[in-house]
Amino acid sequence: MAGVELKKIVKKYGNTQVVHGIDLVVEEKEFVVLVGPSGCAKSTTLRMVAGLEEITGGEITIDGRVCNTIAPKDRDVAMVFQNYALYPHLNVYENIAFGLRIRKEKKANIEASVEEVAEILGLTEYLERRPADLSGGQRQRVAMGRAIVRHPKVFLFDEPLSNLDAKLRTQMRAEIKRLHKRLGVTSIYVTHDQVEAMTLADRIVVMQDGRIEQIGTPMELFNNPVNTFVAGFIGSPPMNQIDAEVQKSSTGYFVEIDGAKIKLPKLKELEGAEGKTVVVGLRPEHFELGKVKGLNNLPVELDLVETLGSEALLHAMVANTPFVVKAETNGSIDHLEDISTVSINTDLIKVFDKETGLAMGHPTSTNS
Amino acid sequence: MENMQNRMSWLKEHLRNEWQIYVMLAPTIIWFIVFLYKPMYGLQIAFKDYSIFRGVANSPWVGFEHFHTLFGSDQFLRAVKNTFMISMLSLCFGFPMPIILALMFNEITNQVFKKTAQTIVYLPHFISTVIIAGIVITAFSPSAGIVNTFLEWLGFESIYFLIKPEWFRPIFIGSGIWQEAGFSSIVFLAAIAGVSPSLYESAVVDGASRWQMMWKITLPAILPTIIIMLIIRIGNLLEVGFELIILLYQPSTYSTGDVINTLIYRQGLQGAQYDLAAAAGLFNATVAFVLVMTANTISKRYSRTSLW
Ligand SMILES: Nc1ncnc2c1ncn2[C@@H]1O[C@H](COP(=O)(O)OP(=O)(O)O)[C@@H](O)[C@H]1O
Ligand SMILES: [Mg+2]
Repeated sequence: MAGVELKKIVKKYGNTQVVHGIDLVVEEKEFVVLVGPSGCAKSTTLRMVAGLEEITGGEITIDGRVCNTIAPKDRDVAMVFQNYALYPHLNVYENIAFGLRIRKEKKANIEASVEEVAEILGLTEYLERRPADLSGGQRQRVAMGRAIVRHPKVFLFDEPLSNLDAKLRTQMRAEIKRLHKRLGVTSIYVTHDQVEAMTLADRIVVMQDGRIEQIGTPMELFNNPVNTFVAGFIGSPPMNQIDAEVQKSSTGYFVEIDGAKIKLPKLKELEGAEGKTVVVGLRPEHFELGKVKGLNNLPVELDLVETLGSEALLHAMVANTPFVVKAETNGSIDHLEDISTVSINTDLIKVFDKETGLAMGHPTSTNS
Repeated sequence: MENMQNRMSWLKEHLRNEWQIYVMLAPTIIWFIVFLYKPMYGLQIAFKDYSIFRGVANSPWVGFEHFHTLFGSDQFLRAVKNTFMISMLSLCFGFPMPIILALMFNEITNQVFKKTAQTIVYLPHFISTVIIAGIVITAFSPSAGIVNTFLEWLGFESIYFLIKPEWFRPIFIGSGIWQEAGFSSIVFLAAIAGVSPSLYESAVVDGASRWQMMWKITLPAILPTIIIMLIIRIGNLLEVGFELIILLYQPSTYSTGDVINTLIYRQGLQGAQYDLAAAAGLFNATVAFVLVMTANTISKRYSRTSLW
């Protein structure tokens, strides 16, 4: 198994603990993305896998071998850094060849490998240039080239696209994905950008404050966030979260939001929960416009319509909380301006415990 | 004509908007004018039969007579040779020292040890040259000096270092290194500090040893700084620290220790031959000028790094 396994990983800087016992299994050939807000210890975790940070507690296994005390060079991993870490005094060829030269590979092998990698990444014309004479995207590719030329068992990426502009980022994202398909190397990728995580990952690991909040495929996280944090982090715009008091009627449990009755899905945690405050989660994408019979109708007073092109974001205040609805434009936004009601299917509504933030009725098995 | 007017109005506008910059520049320019350009007026006495009673302007011209005298003088030729020998040797031994020190400091991981070691090597820089000379003279004294005490302890005869011509240069260059190497290493340490840590991390993952990282990352990264410092150093090649020489040399070590500047001092100031001394000084300055121009041009051509 050329995978990576983290068991109860702990990291302390002096007396400050920044990683609090992380458990994670990355399967062979899998592309796993660590995502979370800045400062949640994504980089620290990745650097422990690379061997750039000492592990305070727990065990890291790469390809079935415990790596805690193994030097970075013997772990057979390659890392791509946010600032690319290219050697300014070496040209592209020498930058890509650096790792091979360090390992004293044969000259002919180095030449063949570098040329192959340059071909894959479209860098053949630029081999003689210095990093200073390359564009951001080209530098990024050289950084990738340095990693893949060594044929490591595991790729580690620390925010490799964060220094690029939005357009280039989208382009390079697709390229990384294609490269992974082609090479099939186990990869761990760190980013703070949930869109990058959603598009690249086989599985996403959502982190907060040095802890894992949830692990799952992009769709699992989108459809069944385990708590309010994941619900707010995954998806763009994020899930609307409204506090409300549970009430009971003859047909089941419901909440009242701005005078509208919103029926809650059947959940065993709701039983006997009358009077308790819960967080109701409503995805902006799940609404239909206007009053719809058989759905929960919610009055909204729009204060802003943001046009994105094929879609628009309708902004409103609902229960004194900012509230967003995503709507199709169908080529015009005129019909969106005077929307006063939106509707949502009860099955699409999420309910979270207000105190713990945990999702009710969550198929907990995803958090393995 | 109209062009001229345009330029004048542009200049007026420019000065009105940017006068602060010129005010900040002023002290430096004034310093240069007062202390470097105005004295150049006096340089003409190198070509005159100068007498302090007649003054600079009224002394008669004598052309290159003083230069003829200088190049016919064994003392001057010896001073030229000594200047070159001492500067070359201190360039060869003195220039790499701060770089080596900086690289060594960079490898120390224990911060307390590093700070202490740095402070210790910086200290001599802040000691006055007179005291440095005093320390050197004491250390090498034949009766109570630490060096001779040590030699005797090892079973050797004690040597009166400071009157032996063959010991003058090593002692002078060695004490120069001791005094300045630590402080000069700051420039290189600063250059090393500017190297992105991720370059080293990336190299660590690639499998580079500390030695390889020093050769393949640190040194190339600080190479531009090294070259700039080398050009400056070559420009000052003839400016051997003559205060220390005056304090250390004796008539018995003139044969290896007397340099152009000390000769100028003895003949010009002590011997009141101002015109001859000015000629020697002008020669010194001309050679220095040619040296720095050459070094800069070579560097510009081969390394894309230059002072200007
Ligand atoms: N060398 C260090 N010394 C002390 N604290 C550190 C060090 N490196 C990182 N940290 C702390 O660890 C936490 C996680 O940092 P990091 O892994 O870089 O976060 P992320 O990559 O998710 O933005 C942060 O709170 C940061 O301040
Ligand atoms: Mg980070």
